[in-house]
Amino acid sequence: MLGLLALPFGVFAPFAIWSGTRSLRRIRASEGELRGSGSAVAGLVAGLLALGAFLIGTVYWLVAS
Amino acid sequence: MIGRVVVAALVFVVALATYPGAVLVSLATRVVPTAAAAGSGGTLPWLHVAHPTGGMPYIADEQGRLVLLHGAIPAGLLQFGPGLAQPFPIDPSAYEGDRCPAAAGWSRYPPLCHSDLQAMAALGFNSVRLPISWSLLEPQRGRFDEVYVARIAQVVEWARALRMYVIVDMHQNGYSYFVGPGPHVNLAYLSGAPAWATLTDGFPSQVYRDQRELNPAVFEATTNFWYDRDGIQDEYIAALAHLARRFKDDSAVVGYGVYNEPWPGWNLSPGFEDLLLFPFYRRVIDAITGAHDGLPCWSGFFMPAVCGYRDLGVDDRRHLMFLDTGLVREVTDFPTHLGLPVSSYPNLVLALHAYTHIYTIDTFRGEKVPNTDYPWGGYDQSYDFAEREAKAMDAALFVAEFGDDPSDDALILKSQLQQQEKRRLGFAFWTWTESGGSWGMFTSASGCLRAGRERLLARAYPRATADPQVTFHYDSDTGAFSLSATGRAGDAPTIVYVPAEDGGAIAISGAAASSTETAQDGSRIVTASPTGGQFGVTVAAGQIRLSGCP
Repeated sequence: MLGLLALPFGVFAPFAIWSGTRSLRRIRASEGELRGSGSAVAGLVAGLLALGAFLIGTVYWLVAS
Repeated sequence: MIGRVVVAALVFVVALATYPGAVLVSLATRVVPTAAAAGSGGTLPWLHVAHPTGGMPYIADEQGRLVLLHGAIPAGLLQFGPGLAQPFPIDPSAYEGDRCPAAAGWSRYPPLCHSDLQAMAALGFNSVRLPISWSLLEPQRGRFDEVYVARIAQVVEWARALRMYVIVDMHQNGYSYFVGPGPHVNLAYLSGAPAWATLTDGFPSQVYRDQRELNPAVFEATTNFWYDRDGIQDEYIAALAHLARRFKDDSAVVGYGVYNEPWPGWNLSPGFEDLLLFPFYRRVIDAITGAHDGLPCWSGFFMPAVCGYRDLGVDDRRHLMFLDTGLVREVTDFPTHLGLPVSSYPNLVLALHAYTHIYTIDTFRGEKVPNTDYPWGGYDQSYDFAEREAKAMDAALFVAEFGDDPSDDALILKSQLQQQEKRRLGFAFWTWTESGGSWGMFTSASGCLRAGRERLLARAYPRATADPQVTFHYDSDTGAFSLSATGRAGDAPTIVYVPAEDGGAIAISGAAASSTETAQDGSRIVTASPTGGQFGVTVAAGQIRLSGCP
């Protein structure tokens, strides 16, 4: 959810990445007890996409302006 | 497995519809520029936006000279509330033969007449920003009022005869007076959309903190426009295309103000600007120029930022597109979004509304110039950022609106003009005449030209120069003017306008051949043709002869 929110609202991107990474670690450490790795990866990817867009946009602005 | 595919598809679609897609489309516009058509053959020289390598884009004429537009903004073609009949005729026949009909007593603005444009030209204005109302242009959905279009064309014709350019500006204030009456709502301050395009969804019309935009009905109606609810944005684009088709071959129309002072409604910056406003601008440009930026999408309801717009067959590639910053930027004097490229169309102008110390947040805290804590960077803050925003968009910069209470002229108006001079920016002054208000060029009681405004705004300035790095300064207290430029032999001449008010002696120095012509109204035009090297034009300090009332 945080990942999807991060796409229109970039401010959520760091939280989506943090949350996605943390969830993935916990799922892997649980040795099958916890599920939802797909959602965690999706959140992580969405967060990374949002952060990437923000960084590209910012770098472009700084360079082009 | 299916679940993972669904989640992946969801992330992809949402990413495409939001920032990642918006950034991709914006950057793609930088890859393949759309060619502007070379303008020639107009009564006035066609203007375009020049793009010097590594430099700031600027408005230029057919000879490549930087062109400065000085002008005012008459509100006499707008439709404000409270929804009674128009206070003055729309039919151009009422204005023929230099006739100027009287306005109804309740009207805040008098009608725009031929004599108004003559008076503007006498002050040295070479342009006029002409605000128009969508509600008058398309009072019924899909049906354009050709009488209103003819009225616009009449003003363009007057301007052309006076060698003035017209910026046709799709204006709005508080979205529309059709949001309806309510507590603290003054419908006489609202204009814009027709009734059929004002979708308030039952939200109450009530103004908070005495700001016309802080009204739930305005929030809702504006938001519905940005989300193209019921296809109203498509209708707006069609209305602009209708005008563009009418004036396609008219060089006196310098371009179009696409949307005045965009209010985000319920949306927040920076998403409002990056995902809604500037993509909307891109779609308007696509429709009128056939630029084909963005992805081909549906229309008729919400279009994400990646969406371009279908070519509406106007194929107008000679006019400038004036793109207002969001209204929140006007309040903060600070960029409110990423400032990504908008379109591959090269004739773009970022239209700044400069209201420092008038509508900036210091005034909402009750501070009054000069005792204010904001903007931290003073007047420079807004202009420094605006130059950076325009450069990032590869657009020229123009001060499409500024103005103030005459009692603040010595502080605010003078400072704004200094900034514009320093940065070689043209301007449009709000407002030309105002019946019941206090901001116009003329006193509301006697209708007399305010001498203080005449002193500041009827100024010497270079109308065109081949040197985009030209520096110049006009001292409105003494009438002294100095210009320094560099040119190669054979460069197009630098044209300097000296108002009739300024009788100081003109001198040319350095590498330029010159001539001076005096017009019937007493103004002078200096033509300085570079012979190779640096040259200067000066007007000596002397007595300024003002015709206005003290």
